[in-house]
Amino acid sequence: MKNSASMLLLSITLTSLFSYPASAAVAEIELVIKDHLFFPATLEIPAGQKVRIRIINQDSTPEEFESYELNREKIIVGNGQAVIFIGPLEPGRYPFFGEFFPKTAQGVVIVK
Amino acid sequence: MFLNAVIIVLQEILEASLLISVLLVFTQLFHKIWGKSFSLKTSWVAYSIILGIIGAGLYSHYTPQVSEWFDYVGQEVVNASIHIGSLILLLILAFVVPSKKITGKLMTRSRLTTFCMTGVVLLAIIREGSEIMQYVGGIAGQSGNFTPIVFGGIIGAGIGLSIGVLLYYGLMSLSIKWAYRLGLILLMLIAGNMGSQAVLLLTQADWLPFTPIAWNTSALLAEDSILGHLLYALIGYEATPSILQLVCYLSGMIMIAISPLFRKVQPHNQSLAGTN
Repeated sequence: MKNSASMLLLSITLTSLFSYPASAAVAEIELVIKDHLFFPATLEIPAGQKVRIRIINQDSTPEEFESYELNREKIIVGNGQAVIFIGPLEPGRYPFFGEFFPKTAQGVVIVK
Repeated sequence: MFLNAVIIVLQEILEASLLISVLLVFTQLFHKIWGKSFSLKTSWVAYSIILGIIGAGLYSHYTPQVSEWFDYVGQEVVNASIHIGSLILLLILAFVVPSKKITGKLMTRSRLTTFCMTGVVLLAIIREGSEIMQYVGGIAGQSGNFTPIVFGGIIGAGIGLSIGVLLYYGLMSLSIKWAYRLGLILLMLIAGNMGSQAVLLLTQADWLPFTPIAWNTSALLAEDSILGHLLYALIGYEATPSILQLVCYLSGMIMIAISPLFRKVQPHNQSLAGTN
């Protein structure tokens, strides 16, 4: 009896660890790249929640979204789009930049 | 633009260049340890580079389509698969290597090892090379960008290849025992990194669950410092790895540590003593 209870607990833990949170709606934020700039350059997201960032590149050149703080890196092709999941995160500032045009393409995710 | 091109091309070339060096060192060591019975032709490097560049061109060409797969996380899925494929090939290599004194030729083992080395380098060049091609191909076409990007790229590639050559000759200048030991440590870290990178990419795509970060060493060694970049390319250094990344990193290392490749390095191993 005790054994089956612990098995049940284990299976619940494993299920919760590996099941895709498809049922829980993930908030989506749009980030546009235009003239090698990010719009908006500041993204505010709530702490402790996973967020889907849809990056839309309106330039004809590719760009690489990169952030050391967020541990994210991805190429967005010219006139294309891409999706990156971030979080759940602790409150704080998480700068990101475009690796191909770092002088202008700068932004920050603020987690509150 | 110029300096940026140097850095971007350098960091992509560096990963492949260091990997090639370590595997080439093992190719030479196998020859010295086993002689003709387990000897690989070094020409595998040439094949893997040529095929890798062709593969990188194809991948780079189809990236716009690949990006749209799986609701715009296709790149993560393909790149993670490349990392997992490389890890599997490295593990096959580590388990196929003979672990004790052998007599006669081991054709099948030699061929399989050569195949694994070629595959690992081929996959690395496809992944790193396609990023360089997208960067150079996508941006050098703009007016005023061509000269700084092409020259920056050439310098970045030159530095990356030079560091690889330095590592190769550095390891080859040591005794067989120490070259083997250090090569093995590097191979363990490379294997661990492949597992960790696959996890990171699949987490970014939301194909794997989020796990909290294991530690934060960004104050101690920033990822965007020169040493941070070098360690990232060599062993996948990250200032804030997640727990799942750490688990997969350690698993990759352990898998190499239990393989016959690792057993060969034990100092009490008789068969090495004679060649040292």
